[in-house]
Amino acid sequence: MPKLTIDGNEIEVEAGYSVLQACEAAGIEVPRFCYHERLSISGNCRMCLVEMERAPKLIASCSMPVGDGMVIHTKTDKVVEARASVMEFLLINHPLDCPICDQGGECDLQDQAVAYGLGTSRFTEHKRSVQDKGDYGPIVKTEMTRCIHCTRCIRFTHQVTGTAELGGIGRGDHMEVSTYVGKAINSELSGNLVDLCPVGALTSKPFAFSARSWELKPTESIDVFDAVGSNIRIDTRGGEVMRILPRLNEDVNGEWIGDKTRYAMDGLKRQRLDKPYVRRDGKLVPVSWDEAFNTIADKLKGMDGKKIGAIAGDQADCESMIVLKDLMASLGSTNVDCRQDGSKVDAGVRAGYTFNSTIAGIDEADAILLIGTNLRWEAPVVNARIRERYYRGGLKVAVIGEALDLSYPYEHLGTSPGDFKKITGGKDDFSKTLKAAKKPMVIVGAGALARADGADVLGGVRKIAESRGMVKEGWNGFNVLHTAASRVGGLDLGVVPGNNGKDVQGILEGAASGDIEAVYLLGADEIDTAKLDKTFVIYQGSHGDAGAACADVVLPGTAYTEKSGTYVNTEGRVQRGLRAAFPRGEAKEDWAIIRALSDALGKSLPYSSLGDVRNRMSEVNPIFNDYDGLQAAEWSDFGGTGEPSSEALVSPIENYYMTDPISRVSQTMAECTEAFINPEQQKTGTNG
Amino acid sequence: MVELWDVYIWPAAWIVIKILAIVVPLLVAVAYLTYAERKIIAMMHRRKGPNVVGPFGLLQPFADGLKLFLKETIIPTGANRGVFIIAPCLTFTLAMVAWAVIPFGEGMVLSDINVGLLYLMAISSLGVYGILMAGWASNSIYAFLGGLREAAQMVSYELAMGFIMVCVLLMAGSMNLTDIVMAQKDMWYVLPLFPLAVIFLICILAETARHPFDLPEGEAELVTGYNVEYSSMAFALFFLGEYANMIVMSGMLTTLFLGGWLPIMDVAPLNMIPGPVWFALKTSFVLFFFLWVRATFPRYRYDQVMRLGWKVFLPVTLAAVIIISGVLVATGNAPTIG
Amino acid sequence: MGFLATHAKAFFLTELVKGMSVSFKYMFKPTITLNYPYEKGPLSPRFRGEHCLRRYPNGEERCIACKLCEAACPAQAITIEVEPRDDGSRRTTRYDIDMTKCIFCGFCQEACPVDAVVEGPNFEYTTETREELFYDKDKLLSNGERWEVELAARIALDAPYR
Repeated sequence: MPKLTIDGNEIEVEAGYSVLQACEAAGIEVPRFCYHERLSISGNCRMCLVEMERAPKLIASCSMPVGDGMVIHTKTDKVVEARASVMEFLLINHPLDCPICDQGGECDLQDQAVAYGLGTSRFTEHKRSVQDKGDYGPIVKTEMTRCIHCTRCIRFTHQVTGTAELGGIGRGDHMEVSTYVGKAINSELSGNLVDLCPVGALTSKPFAFSARSWELKPTESIDVFDAVGSNIRIDTRGGEVMRILPRLNEDVNGEWIGDKTRYAMDGLKRQRLDKPYVRRDGKLVPVSWDEAFNTIADKLKGMDGKKIGAIAGDQADCESMIVLKDLMASLGSTNVDCRQDGSKVDAGVRAGYTFNSTIAGIDEADAILLIGTNLRWEAPVVNARIRERYYRGGLKVAVIGEALDLSYPYEHLGTSPGDFKKITGGKDDFSKTLKAAKKPMVIVGAGALARADGADVLGGVRKIAESRGMVKEGWNGFNVLHTAASRVGGLDLGVVPGNNGKDVQGILEGAASGDIEAVYLLGADEIDTAKLDKTFVIYQGSHGDAGAACADVVLPGTAYTEKSGTYVNTEGRVQRGLRAAFPRGEAKEDWAIIRALSDALGKSLPYSSLGDVRNRMSEVNPIFNDYDGLQAAEWSDFGGTGEPSSEALVSPIENYYMTDPISRVSQTMAECTEAFINPEQQKTGTNG
Repeated sequence: MVELWDVYIWPAAWIVIKILAIVVPLLVAVAYLTYAERKIIAMMHRRKGPNVVGPFGLLQPFADGLKLFLKETIIPTGANRGVFIIAPCLTFTLAMVAWAVIPFGEGMVLSDINVGLLYLMAISSLGVYGILMAGWASNSIYAFLGGLREAAQMVSYELAMGFIMVCVLLMAGSMNLTDIVMAQKDMWYVLPLFPLAVIFLICILAETARHPFDLPEGEAELVTGYNVEYSSMAFALFFLGEYANMIVMSGMLTTLFLGGWLPIMDVAPLNMIPGPVWFALKTSFVLFFFLWVRATFPRYRYDQVMRLGWKVFLPVTLAAVIIISGVLVATGNAPTIG
Repeated sequence: MGFLATHAKAFFLTELVKGMSVSFKYMFKPTITLNYPYEKGPLSPRFRGEHCLRRYPNGEERCIACKLCEAACPAQAITIEVEPRDDGSRRTTRYDIDMTKCIFCGFCQEACPVDAVVEGPNFEYTTETREELFYDKDKLLSNGERWEVELAARIALDAPYR
């Protein structure tokens, strides 16, 4: 461990640290533009210059590795002068358009110009201006005149997303950052470019001009568009969600979030359910809460509990799921399920449905086998993590399933569960790689388990994990990657069919055949609603989507930004999001709706506050006591023993930008779909 | 029938006409007193004062009156309705009634009674009831405090006023106001009784709750005191009553010390001017003094008001009664009974 | 001052008489007030009156919706909403000043980088209802059009001191 002296204080840091990192460890701020913790070092902005004794010139602290006995000064006149000069150079070609720049108020250049700059300019010549070349797509807005050429964005597309769309053109004063021949930035992580850019060259297009950073009230929350549970910050202004930004959590999403997470929030303003509805004469009519509850009570009172079913949707919070489960139990029904895609995971064995290696574990993995998953769409943040791991070297990846562009090279072993034998048989090259690997991983996608033979697929994957030594002391390489934010929470709370209970398929078929007379949909839209025609359907949710369309009673619930909810991500990490905005119209928090309904049904549930509900959750499963913590799940038998069919494995996501009621109504997501998913679609006269 | 007309109706009508002849000019005088107040104080402040309504703002009082007349009468829910409404009427009526005995000229008096001085004393004492009732009936803390202050203040200063009147009574030997005026034919009482005249002047300031003794209103601490809950005509009645009271008191001072309707000197051009004009001029001078004081002095503290009344004026006037009666007895000028 | 002198002074009300003589003397001095609405005092070019939103000579509105005035406003009287205009420029869709909240500190015009919002010389804009004092963008722009000549002159006069 090298020891060095920074501003007179001796500090010992890990070998391999740069001087800049050492300064940070010593609590000294060093200004920088090009340096970024998660990207490679380029050292081209020169803002981080510090003075090192016995060096002839100032050194760029970001690219100078620490050495034993270094003596660094960061506050000498020479350094101050150098920073001011660098700042003056940077500002020579930077336009003075802060008032119309969206970065204003949260701009690194602005802040550092105030802190380290001179305050005046000696530059009287013409400033250079750069023409924006082409459109970067519906997410990133460009104003390349503002660019200071820190190259963070270039490095990001090369290293993290692996799409390599951006690059520098020209040299010196003529340098420009540009896509190659007017390409849009086609990546699920492109929104992060906006965060990366230290100036206003790359700004958010959907957010353009809509608010200033100082007007926004940040609320910490959890993302529900995939099962990763990315930590997010919801910025609101006057109760309206203005934007969503990532929140740093090294164990989950690092510093990135996917574009759907970031930009689907404009769907929160459209097609919302803001008052209760009841179907009368085939039409949904707005009614009061009491009327809606009475309609339900009239129907359900005296009905045999076995004829009632409940399905929890993909974005349901744990609180509403446990209250729904308890309500069903009090009605005598065991027909509850949280797996609306029909996934065959086993709720009994926690290790069998979680991402056991943890997402941070990817950084240590040396061989990864992906089964039936389109990681780029199902969990772009996880995919970026693998890409980052791959970029560091020493990682081999193989895929069984669709051969898609995952942004890193991999070995394609096959497309169907039949190809599992290649691994278990031990004859394949990759099989040997896995055997030799210290920390091998297998990631099985939710789509692979949602097939009719999902249980057998799960069993097959378990066999792979066991036979290739993935499950050992201190390492569990078996991973299930879910796509629904509510899934692991629901399984942990036992929101699955009880004794003689029906699962999702059972409920839907029962509804079609008349065995089930009433169905409670808690934000469940991804089901075959045609089968519910004859049934009394209660839909509780935030958006008027498929579920509401077939409902007989609609109860307006809340979207994830409007309630304080607990979610368990695919790793089994219990996380809690705080309420950022207020429910729309007459809508109420979801758990409270079910609690109020229980009164109307004469089966009052014993919860009067969110605290009571959370106590109940901890009672059902003690993991809910431990927020943000992870507990290693015990390995046990799970999955089917049969031979899975040789049908090809496909990802359940057909369009990354539209997977749920919120993103389906989002305008930004619609634009992304048009730009990235169906770019060749012929525009007809009625299009737009 | 003729007898009915001659004995009852004509005299009654004549009295009504006389009353109107007093009350109507009085009300006009009140109106212009408010105007004069604003204008004079403005001059002392080097401002302009009302100058928009009519020439020199002369119609301002009527505009104000009209405004008050058109406003909504608000009676607070917690108020005692009956008392609340009677209070301003009482104040106004009493201020008018006092004029019955004040002589405007030789024989020009509504009721030339022998106990005129006592009558004035009694009427001005009754005035406190209107204010106490208003303060109590409003059911408001401010109004109540204002009423209490007014009552205490009036009682304190009436004592001193009473003793000063006794002095004048001793000098004149009559309680009939016409007689008192006539007794001043040679020399106005203001000269021999100058200190008492000054005390009387201060007492009537306190009695009418004018500056610097306007603690019952006390805008700063009581937000206008007893009339805080009054609006519209009820407020107008209080307002009229208050200013009519000022005029009554000035008239009283004129009668007692400034020789009533008598001219300054009984010489050719001066005694050509009729008595009522002299009376009006003298009263106006006293009223001007009211306004002058208001423009000059700040408000007293309440304990100072009480101290002045009880510890200064009461002993001084009491001593004056003894000294004057002593002097009169010694010089053989003391009035005799019968 | 001796005991006698003090009490004699009190007894003869010397101070009261002095005070009253002062107010009496002032009665005959000329008035120093202005006969407002007919006479008006001079206004500094920095006088902060009613707000205006200005336009450029070519008719384009100056305001670029930077929201600095909104941020600077200590009374939080300004409300701005922004959207890209059809030509992509940054423009307000709503620019409200609640004149009942405004304290006329002038921070908004200090903050404005383009001299769009200025406090003009007009201070006579009473209204009969409270609602009329909630100025919107149209009202502020029409103020700007009405006062533009004076506004430009005032800004020019004050420019050397900025």
